[in-house]
Amino acid sequence: MRPETVIVVVKREYLQRIRSKGFWIATLILPVFIGAMTVLPSLLLAKSKARQVVAVVDETGKVARELTAKPETLPAREREREESRPAKFDFRVETPSADAKAQRAGLDQRVLAEDLDAWLWIGRDTYQKGEVEYHARSVSNFVTQEVLRDKVSRAVRRARLREAGYDADKVSELSQPVEVLAERVSEAGSRKEGALAGAAFGYILFFMLYLTLTIWGQQVMQGVLEEKSSRVIEVVVSAVKPFELMMGKLLGICLVGLTQFGIWLITFAVITAPGILATLATLPEGMALPTLSVAMVINFLLLFVLGFFVFSTLYAAIGASFNSMQEAQQVASIAVFFLVIPVFLMFRIINDPGSTFAVVCSLIPLFTPLLMTLRISLQMPPLWQILLGYALTLGFIWCAVWVCARIYRVGILMYGKKPTFQELWKWVRYPA
Amino acid sequence: MTTNLELREVRKSFGSFKAVDGVSLAVTAGSIFGLLGPNGAGKTSTIRMIMNITAPDSGEVLLFGHPRSPEDLRRVGYLPEERGLYPKMTVMDQLVFLGEIRGLKRRALLPRITQWLERVQLGGWGGKKVEELSKGMQQKVQLIGTVLHEPELLILDEPFSGLDPINQELFRELLIDYRSQGKSVVLSTHGMELAERMCDHICLISQGRAILAGDLKDIKRRIGGNSYRVVGDGDLESLRELPGVEQVMIKDGVAKLLLTPETEGSDLLRQIVERVRVHEFRSEEPELEQIFLKAVRDAA
Repeated sequence: MRPETVIVVVKREYLQRIRSKGFWIATLILPVFIGAMTVLPSLLLAKSKARQVVAVVDETGKVARELTAKPETLPAREREREESRPAKFDFRVETPSADAKAQRAGLDQRVLAEDLDAWLWIGRDTYQKGEVEYHARSVSNFVTQEVLRDKVSRAVRRARLREAGYDADKVSELSQPVEVLAERVSEAGSRKEGALAGAAFGYILFFMLYLTLTIWGQQVMQGVLEEKSSRVIEVVVSAVKPFELMMGKLLGICLVGLTQFGIWLITFAVITAPGILATLATLPEGMALPTLSVAMVINFLLLFVLGFFVFSTLYAAIGASFNSMQEAQQVASIAVFFLVIPVFLMFRIINDPGSTFAVVCSLIPLFTPLLMTLRISLQMPPLWQILLGYALTLGFIWCAVWVCARIYRVGILMYGKKPTFQELWKWVRYPA
Repeated sequence: MTTNLELREVRKSFGSFKAVDGVSLAVTAGSIFGLLGPNGAGKTSTIRMIMNITAPDSGEVLLFGHPRSPEDLRRVGYLPEERGLYPKMTVMDQLVFLGEIRGLKRRALLPRITQWLERVQLGGWGGKKVEELSKGMQQKVQLIGTVLHEPELLILDEPFSGLDPINQELFRELLIDYRSQGKSVVLSTHGMELAERMCDHICLISQGRAILAGDLKDIKRRIGGNSYRVVGDGDLESLRELPGVEQVMIKDGVAKLLLTPETEGSDLLRQIVERVRVHEFRSEEPELEQIFLKAVRDAA
């Protein structure tokens, strides 16, 4: 292998992709999407928080008074609750006129003229039937209706209590619900805590790898197929060894993937930094953040990068074996399969992270990224095991690239024919 | 004289099909070598073995006087039959890449590329993406990519296919220029006319075997010693039936006859006059195409 040739290939792969519009669209769409997801709901909420003007016609003559009671007169708890509701109302009490029909029509007119947002009709039989009428231009504003229903129910309840001779405030105070303060009790203490955090790390890495691979696995495959589909391959392999080409492609495409991930990470950090700082500043005394050692963070990042590379080689192998994207895609899911297997092994390892089973599994190249992360966060394994895991994975990547190059090398001229497994094996052993 | 490329008894089979069946040839410095043959004769398979894209089943490939190494291949410029460039790359980036993979530095490449683009009338196209170029333009870009690293040996597989006459002429000048610099060119083609105008040596391949090889002038003398040109009115086609006539090629009222060695031209003229009104009858060097057709038939 000539490093300078690999660098030329890496440079081409990296710059070509970084310069494409597609990359930037794909890279920016996620932060924009997440931003939208966090900002939009609060915007929508803010909108429905605006005060709604609602006319109230109360035939009972008792409910409206309760409905419009000043918040100051309410018991403290109810007042708090009232203020946090996402919808507020301005009730305009109207006296019921003799001609109910004409009054209803008049109210409808005012709603249409946007003089009112809605009107509420509290019928004579409301106490018995437990129903009031709500008329508005749109009745799909379920959040507003929910708040309104709550308010009206309380008003009717208080009116009923008063009529039955009870002190509504007293009843409300006496019938306050009780909060349950939940606290977790665990037998094994800190050990269980660690297990949970460890599993969390494992899962975070799993999802990070899963996300990156679903996006970039395809890219690796397509990249490997690029020379074949554009027929530029014969010129390139006459100057670059297939191993150099494969290695360069893999490194280049993975670096683009890491660049994208880096951009996301930085964006995410910038967006969440004020929140995290605020949380840290207002953290109650005695409450500590989960501890992360520097070694853990470094290993986590290294294992992520390594995982990305090692799984990319699988996609590269698939790409190298086929002549078109359509054919390759049919078997692309095999790569994800290898990512899922260690997730099942995780449960056993959480129970006993130092066992031979755990050590052996965490040293299997395709499993190392997830399982070593898990072991490191549960109980720091001996350094030699971590280093051996890295070495084996790197060795695996090297061999995988070599095999890819062989398959690729011989497969170049096999246009338009799907290879069989016997053929693939023959290609690997083929003299260069 | 130095030999830039030599093949010794090279063989390649695909399954039971013998694509190349013991081809030997030598290309000297400062010459244009024509690898000729009909479609499917084994020209491209031979070239791919020279370029180490496929491995020969047996035989040897020598570059610049010794068994080929990957470094030697960097001194070769190769234009494959399957043309292809990275469609999304700009012409400039593309050419820089093709130079860099042969070990050249970007700084040295840029002025050279600009110069070449000017020379093939593509100045100002450097920033365009390859996919925005016409087929002919792409072919010119690819040719620049082939010669950019100033290789000592050029191997061009059907370089003229798809080019208009103006660009064919441009290519031809480039190759003649190349030869005058003491470098060698291997040209695979089934276009006999161009090969005839340019090649110093030829190797004629048919069904995987070299059926005729050597200096083009020698071959013409040797094979086509008994060749005549007939200009006349009437049924020129009927000349095919005459005894002693091995081959007839008719173009624009001119018939070119290749006779068997024992046939006398003057004897034949008597029979010709009986069939057509002859304006002209003279001994002439045969065309390469005639030799090609004869050789292929003799070999079959």
